[in-house]
Amino acid sequence: MSIDLIRPASNRAAPAPRPLISRDCGPEGCEVDWLASRRHDAELDIESFNDFALEKGWGDGLPLVPPTELRVRTFLAANDRYPDEVIATLPGAVECTVEKIVINAVMAGAPAASLELLIAAVTSVADPDFELYGVNTTTAPVYPAFVVNGPVRDRLDIPYGYGCFGGVATKAVAIGRAMRLIMRNVAGQVAGGTSQTTFGNPGRIAGVLTGEWEERSPWAPLGERRGVSGDAVTSFGTMGTVNVIDSTSHSAGDFLEMTGKSMAYPGCNGFSGLVPFGEMMIAINPIWADIIGKEMPNIEDVQECLWRFASLDAGHFQKLHREELEKQDRVRADGRVYLTPEPKDMLVFVAGGLGGLHATGFHTFGTSLSQTKPIASAVPADPA
Amino acid sequence: MAIGTILDPTAARDDDNASPGPDAGLLAGKRIGFRLDRMWRAWDWISEQWAESFRAAGAEVSFWRSAGRSGEEGVRCAREYQAFLESIDVAVVGLANCGSCTGWTVRDAITAANFGLPTTAVATQNFELFAHEIAGRGGRSGLRVHVLPYPLNEQRREDVLPVGDAHFLPMLKTMGASLTLREHAA
Repeated sequence: MSIDLIRPASNRAAPAPRPLISRDCGPEGCEVDWLASRRHDAELDIESFNDFALEKGWGDGLPLVPPTELRVRTFLAANDRYPDEVIATLPGAVECTVEKIVINAVMAGAPAASLELLIAAVTSVADPDFELYGVNTTTAPVYPAFVVNGPVRDRLDIPYGYGCFGGVATKAVAIGRAMRLIMRNVAGQVAGGTSQTTFGNPGRIAGVLTGEWEERSPWAPLGERRGVSGDAVTSFGTMGTVNVIDSTSHSAGDFLEMTGKSMAYPGCNGFSGLVPFGEMMIAINPIWADIIGKEMPNIEDVQECLWRFASLDAGHFQKLHREELEKQDRVRADGRVYLTPEPKDMLVFVAGGLGGLHATGFHTFGTSLSQTKPIASAVPADPA
Repeated sequence: MAIGTILDPTAARDDDNASPGPDAGLLAGKRIGFRLDRMWRAWDWISEQWAESFRAAGAEVSFWRSAGRSGEEGVRCAREYQAFLESIDVAVVGLANCGSCTGWTVRDAITAANFGLPTTAVATQNFELFAHEIAGRGGRSGLRVHVLPYPLNEQRREDVLPVGDAHFLPMLKTMGASLTLREHAA
């Protein structure tokens, strides 16, 4: 038997954050015109502009802020990047510059302070191991979910308590939407055009942008466990959220058994005959985390327990599907098929409200591998 | 109404190769390589069927199967594919029969075409326009795409094989290929 294991490519490690130097042009513009994007004349009232943007194929259907030169320059001036800096090369050999990130962030209504988070997020999905090429084009409903660690969570008001995966009113929604607009307008994920998504997903509008409630976690922050301490963003290509409710369990093993088993259903990504390997991400609420952490202070034990239960007996699969899994050597000696190749591939973080009672699972897409990247901090401009 | 200047939020490459690339020409003595994937049994059946006909015409045929694209497996896959391209004279790349597999099929076809090989991507009808769209975004809008009926993989083997038969000659036309000297001269 030879199980396909997940081994990130060694030459694709996260780069160290670069020190930034203020080089902005200011809201009044520069002597040199750094902004290279094509200009359009448009009516600037919201209704007319949104008609214009929809006609151009720029929008997501919700109102957009017109990206005037003044707004774009003001956003840039609050940061420390040249607009022509190429952050990543995206599918189709498209160069994603700081300028394009800023224009889309302005349209989404994201705050200027979010630029470094957006840059880190773009960098993360551009990593070849994230497989953005497949994420963009697939019939699946996949979108990148982002988990943020470090003090930047509070600076940007990124939620990690109640409603953190959607519904709580913070500017994180606009930041998530900015990433979605970048995915659409720069990375080329347009349903019916460059994306064949059969159903799409509500997460394709503002995405999922959440913090980890590190202060309530018995374990090290997710980013730190993945090699990036402090401000970090982890991107995870997900098909959506799967809720687990458990109002009965009271021990670590019980909660993890219920959660692990709930992740394992025959039609999920990890059991597809098309997919030799995949990851899984699970959010545990702070109440359960406290109970689980007392019994299992090592996160590896938590992952092992979840992994063991996130499996199905091979006999549970319909014959043709079982044969596909057998061809991939996915049926193990114990007669079971496991959702991920190894326990380490079950990513766990702590978030959610203090009402507890729920866990959330994120099934991945294909063989897309999650990425963790550092978020750079800007060096304040020298007033001299 | 106030009119103002706004900045374009989109980005796209500004180069394109609209050429379909070289014809496959007379197939006798050529090495034809099929790119397969793990997904579509119908494509396995049809490619094997076409391979028989290519062999009968005096060509050599080899197969390469695409696998995972991420991690170490992705690096290995890319290396293997490059070696495969170096071992063939003509590339037949499929199957574009879903979203991501159309993406990867076209991407692999573009890699072959940019390597200088006569290259044809094979798509099912539902993904034909998408294949051309992705080829354009990849800088090869003229990429040859042969179209098979859709749905295809949902059919049983005995229903798929007649489709392969019926599409063999049209496929040769898409490839710019001929089986005999007389056809080639014509």
